[in-house]
Amino acid sequence: MNAPTNGNGRIEVMNVTKKFRDTTAVANLSLNIDHGSYCCLLGPSGCGKTTILRMIAGHESPSSGDVRIGGQSVVGLDPVQRGTAMMFQSYALFPHRSVIENVGFALKMRGASKDERNGKARELLQKVHMEKFANRLPAELSGGQQQRVALARALITNPRVLLLDEPLSALDEYLRLRMRGELRRVQKELGITFIHVTHTQLEAIAVADVVVVMTQGRIEQAATARDIYTAPRSAYVARFIGGQNVLTGVVEGVAGGLATVRNAEGARAQFPVDKANPAKGASLFAAIRRDRIHLTRNSTYRNGDELNAAVGIVHAIENQGTYVKVTLDLTTEEEFVAYMPDGEYFRDPIDIGDRVVARWDAQNLHLLEDASGGQQFAAADKDVALM
Amino acid sequence: MAMHDSGKRPWTFWFFAAFFVLFVIFLYGPMFVVYLLSFQGEGGGLTFPMNGVSTHWFGELVNPESRSGDIASSFQRSLGLGAMVAAITVFLSVAAGLGFRRRFLGSGVLFYIAIASLIMPGLFVGLGVNVFFSVLGWEPDWTTSGLGSQLTWTLPFGLLIMFAVLGRFNRSYEEAATDLGATPWQRLREVTLPILLPGIIGVALFGFTLSYDEFPRTVLTSGTENTLPITIWAMTTNVTSPALYALGTVTTLVSFAVVGTALGSIALISRRRRGGDST
Amino acid sequence: MALLLIFFFFIPVLVVIAVSFFDYQDGSIVEAFIWDNYRDVFTSAVTITEYANSLKFAAIVWALTLLIGFNVAYFLVFHVRGVLLQIGLFLVCTVPFWTSNIIRMISWLPVLGKNGLINSALIKLGIINTPLEFLLYSDFAVVVGYVHLFTLFMVVPIFNSMARIDRSLLEAARDAGAGRFRIVYEIVLPLSKTGIALGTIFVVTQVMGDFFVVKVMSGGQSTSVVSALYNQVAALQYPPAAASAVCLLAVVTLMVAGILRVVDVRKQLAS
Repeated sequence: MNAPTNGNGRIEVMNVTKKFRDTTAVANLSLNIDHGSYCCLLGPSGCGKTTILRMIAGHESPSSGDVRIGGQSVVGLDPVQRGTAMMFQSYALFPHRSVIENVGFALKMRGASKDERNGKARELLQKVHMEKFANRLPAELSGGQQQRVALARALITNPRVLLLDEPLSALDEYLRLRMRGELRRVQKELGITFIHVTHTQLEAIAVADVVVVMTQGRIEQAATARDIYTAPRSAYVARFIGGQNVLTGVVEGVAGGLATVRNAEGARAQFPVDKANPAKGASLFAAIRRDRIHLTRNSTYRNGDELNAAVGIVHAIENQGTYVKVTLDLTTEEEFVAYMPDGEYFRDPIDIGDRVVARWDAQNLHLLEDASGGQQFAAADKDVALM
Repeated sequence: MAMHDSGKRPWTFWFFAAFFVLFVIFLYGPMFVVYLLSFQGEGGGLTFPMNGVSTHWFGELVNPESRSGDIASSFQRSLGLGAMVAAITVFLSVAAGLGFRRRFLGSGVLFYIAIASLIMPGLFVGLGVNVFFSVLGWEPDWTTSGLGSQLTWTLPFGLLIMFAVLGRFNRSYEEAATDLGATPWQRLREVTLPILLPGIIGVALFGFTLSYDEFPRTVLTSGTENTLPITIWAMTTNVTSPALYALGTVTTLVSFAVVGTALGSIALISRRRRGGDST
Repeated sequence: MALLLIFFFFIPVLVVIAVSFFDYQDGSIVEAFIWDNYRDVFTSAVTITEYANSLKFAAIVWALTLLIGFNVAYFLVFHVRGVLLQIGLFLVCTVPFWTSNIIRMISWLPVLGKNGLINSALIKLGIINTPLEFLLYSDFAVVVGYVHLFTLFMVVPIFNSMARIDRSLLEAARDAGAGRFRIVYEIVLPLSKTGIALGTIFVVTQVMGDFFVVKVMSGGQSTSVVSALYNQVAALQYPPAAASAVCLLAVVTLMVAGILRVVDVRKQLAS
């Protein structure tokens, strides 16, 4: 029963549903991940991302649907037969085994001799710069070191797919940044498929080729990291990824690929609609990056005086180092944020309570196809810095 | 995210389940036989078949004319002794448990004495106390030597339970109380003890039941008046009627009542606290 | 607490050790310093048999309780789904602990006896013609009694250590290709070591220190160290009883120390 090594790591999740008693963790979900790509499953806790990972790993079986790896159905197969390896959230290093025994464990299960498995384990420990710690127990290592050992242990069988369950969540900020670069480097080096589960937007966008944004057991959007950021499909994605304001309003007229939209407060904006021809009175949603907003102080301006602008009262100001985050109260229920470059802000600082006008270029608006799920995430303000 | 494979159960599950069921039957089967036989008819013997159903043998227990000795008063003694042991065990274990959180002079020695006293053969302790009392010229009695030797058994148990309970106790509750101006005594009474209450009930339960059933430590130290287990022990050698079983049924009912009350109140307390506190 | 333990435990132990060197006459203790009591313990064929008997029981009972305890704990921890059910079944296992040991022993009499349940059932089924005599008042019965009383002492600590094993360790092992039994051997067993050690200490000390199970279940045919000791006390022969008790204490202490050397039990007690 030799595990396939470095075979095709293409993953196909086909119409998979997973139910736990009376709750549905994954609802009729389909997803393809190319061989050799780095994919992040991103979503809030309870969205079903870990369940998908565990179904690919073979620690959970789908209630219905099929999971294929390299074109072959793996439902019902043991983890070993799948050629996958998993890195667990808290690493799951065996506390009673030394580092080298942990790394060589899978080879021991396959009946390899002690010399053979120690040799291979040492090789992998070198790769993650842990060879000096071979004889320590896991409890004697720092979090970052444990993570490296877990990585080496997962890689010893030459898996075609590596599954990582929140691999960085137990680390402090500094290590997290370092290790995510490390993971990306290892993935490139090995050329195998990585599937990485996380609830941190920054982490997903930083490491992944493909980001899959999930909510309530469904996929909200699966696209490249750049597309997820610049072209969110739905209000949910725009809000969850952060760094965007979501604008909404009712269509007043369409001309030259631009729809003129009026919101409840009377502010008017042009939404790019391309060839679509939304009917008068239809509700549209659009997202705009927060660093594409310009603020000017003005005490007499009224909503509707010009297109692509809105008036608001400054509600909060946070210095973020390279930029300043200014939150406006537009009297709509949603918060509206502008990121001002620090130089520009400090030339003429505005204050809380100031009345300001926010202006933007219609070309920078991105029309959202789907407004569903938007409200559920209205309050979460996870900022993504544009650095 | 503690989701586990909810697929088909492996054959080993059924194997272990069968094993478990057999174990439970082994554990409870004989006891139920005794309960059943304690309702043996008046002419019935120590084994099946049942010769009718009666409560004759329960009546025999309180019948002073019967051969089974003075059961009622040894029963009372055992209940009283159990209550005393439980009270002292709770008081001292809680105090010692709280004290042990800070290392004090001799805390290590005391800990090892406690552990040693836990694994010491019971009769050895009984013998020691008995001889010690006779050296002092004191008369052994269940309220002095009996009580003391039982405490050597219940205190270490209580202490270990308190260690376990306090291990999970978050000290910031106490710090918060001090912060809010509570004196050490108020802090103990208003915060620490109420939070530890389920564990304290557990200690009391241990104290009572261990004492109520205790035999090897008590047999040499109870003096002239016997506790219930010693009376039962004597009955096994000279009473050959189902009265013995009836007594077993009665004492077990008492045990169950005590256990039920204790576990029930613990469950009640933890349910009331289940507002986000999931311990 | 310290005073109580010293008064009722520490000093009595010292007294027993002291008395073990005393002489005795006509049921009263004579102060002296003699080794005779120990010489008697070590040279008497009877005491040697008693020790052999006690050790034999301890070994058999240890093996059986470990086997049962490990399996029961394993079932409860890894096979029962749902915390409530788990707690419920755990309570089912522990409730007999709260009831009288003596009553639990006596309850075997109508089951194992000559006209007891098992014998009558077997005769009715035509498997045997005459009652099996070995069921009661025999070493077999003694072992049954011990296992009945003490398996719980194995289940609880093993359950505790197993419950602390992170499930993802088992999945990691499965991921690495370990089969069901391999996982038990490589992961569960080593990580339950402290529980097994604690249970072993309890069971072994209980069996070594017992005398009433032997007395009731063997019908006086089998003797253990402590039941002999009890007889000596009953005959008011305190010094030899004390000597025998001290020897027993030494044996038990050695066994416990041996176990503690192998496994650091404090790890579990402390947390």
